[in-house]
Amino acid sequence: MKKKQGENPKIIVFCCNWSVNPGLRLSVFPDEEETTFKTIVTMCCGRVGPELILEAFTRGAWGVMLAGCPPEECEHDGNYKARKRVLLIKKTLEQFNIEPERVALEWFSTGESDKLKKSVETFIEKIVEYGPLELSS
Amino acid sequence: MAKPKVAFYWNASCGGCEEAVVDLAEDILKVVEAVDIIFWPVALDFKRSDIEAMDDGEIAVSFINGAIRTEEQEEMVKLLRRKSGLVVAFGSCAHIGGIPGLANFWNRDTIFERAYKEVPSVENPEGIFPRTETQLGNESLTLPEFHNTVRTLGQVIDVDYYLPGCAPPPESIMDAVTAILEGKLPEKGTVLAPDKSLCDTCPRTESKPEKISIKEIKRPHEITPDPEKCFLEEGIICLGPATRSGCGERCINANMPCRGCFGPITGVGDHGARSLSFIASILGLEDEKKMTEEDVQGLIDKIADPAGLFYMYSLPSSLLKRRKMV
Repeated sequence: MKKKQGENPKIIVFCCNWSVNPGLRLSVFPDEEETTFKTIVTMCCGRVGPELILEAFTRGAWGVMLAGCPPEECEHDGNYKARKRVLLIKKTLEQFNIEPERVALEWFSTGESDKLKKSVETFIEKIVEYGPLELSS
Repeated sequence: MAKPKVAFYWNASCGGCEEAVVDLAEDILKVVEAVDIIFWPVALDFKRSDIEAMDDGEIAVSFINGAIRTEEQEEMVKLLRRKSGLVVAFGSCAHIGGIPGLANFWNRDTIFERAYKEVPSVENPEGIFPRTETQLGNESLTLPEFHNTVRTLGQVIDVDYYLPGCAPPPESIMDAVTAILEGKLPEKGTVLAPDKSLCDTCPRTESKPEKISIKEIKRPHEITPDPEKCFLEEGIICLGPATRSGCGERCINANMPCRGCFGPITGVGDHGARSLSFIASILGLEDEKKMTEEDVQGLIDKIADPAGLFYMYSLPSSLLKRRKMV
């Protein structure tokens, strides 16, 4: 499914407050740059439960990315939990006929906001090919 | 003084909820003494027209089991809602969708195709499927419409209370009936079962280790579970942590893990997603730092049917509600 005319991809990025988010804020603040995605700050990517990801989809998100700290850089080991959850949710989404690629987990260290922006751009390019997620009722 | 009028009705269900009422055994005599059962299709010969002839609100309480699958069920529950002071969603299917709700991984067309054509015991070369209207000479025969999506009772009508379980245990049915008769009812919308997780009341909780790490997923038929050990400790997926207690631990005592029929505890929006979450957290917990993505994938691949397992009872009440159809 291609992107519908006049419709912008709705992408949610859950961003860890303790690593990549502060840098990202500085790089886009104060609204100098319009991002094509929305960030939701979390206290740890391990705190982003599958319910939040599914809720994003039911509220119209085309894709959801979790931006977490790389292995060994998370103080709570939440990134390891997030990795397991994301892989399991991808397998579950397939059974719902939802492309598993609509959920992504990427690692970013403090100060890697450029890398984040590039990753998100690549993610968006892929998601735009899928288009909006039209759930059945 | 006239006795309060009570109705029982069934929708997309298996009949187990009717059985649960019969399982009240001698207690059913106390119920019959206190109330007039004016409608109960499985046991009494009253008709829809009898209900239609009643005043609005005349029935004190309707206990309605089953999920909503057809147009007829929708009409009946709307009628009962109008005629009843209280409506209690009785059992898992009415409460959260139940086993009939698993049909939401398909839709009307795919279900008809399977049930009326593909099944090996069916011969239907002309591809005749149920229709809402069939002309037979001068007569027109009708069937209720079969909806694409199974819904919970609460998604179709306003529900006052939920009595969970597949089926609700006789004790909780009696507790609910007594509370209604004595007018000691909790806040509207309450699930009439304890607000704690099954793990809190599980007989195996004493021996449960502080930290559980699942090294390998096992399915119940693959091993003989130790009747003293927590299922999760043995690698068998049990939905106890996210599921409401009150069932009497019937499955656990039969050495089977919880499949979630009592639905989620308060605060859990999506029973399946929450279950998926805690299972993922304890999967290979001990070695999670050493694991590669392939290792994690290998562990996850052992869960043959995650959607069917985590949403076994709650698919229609989940966030996604159903599979996306093309």
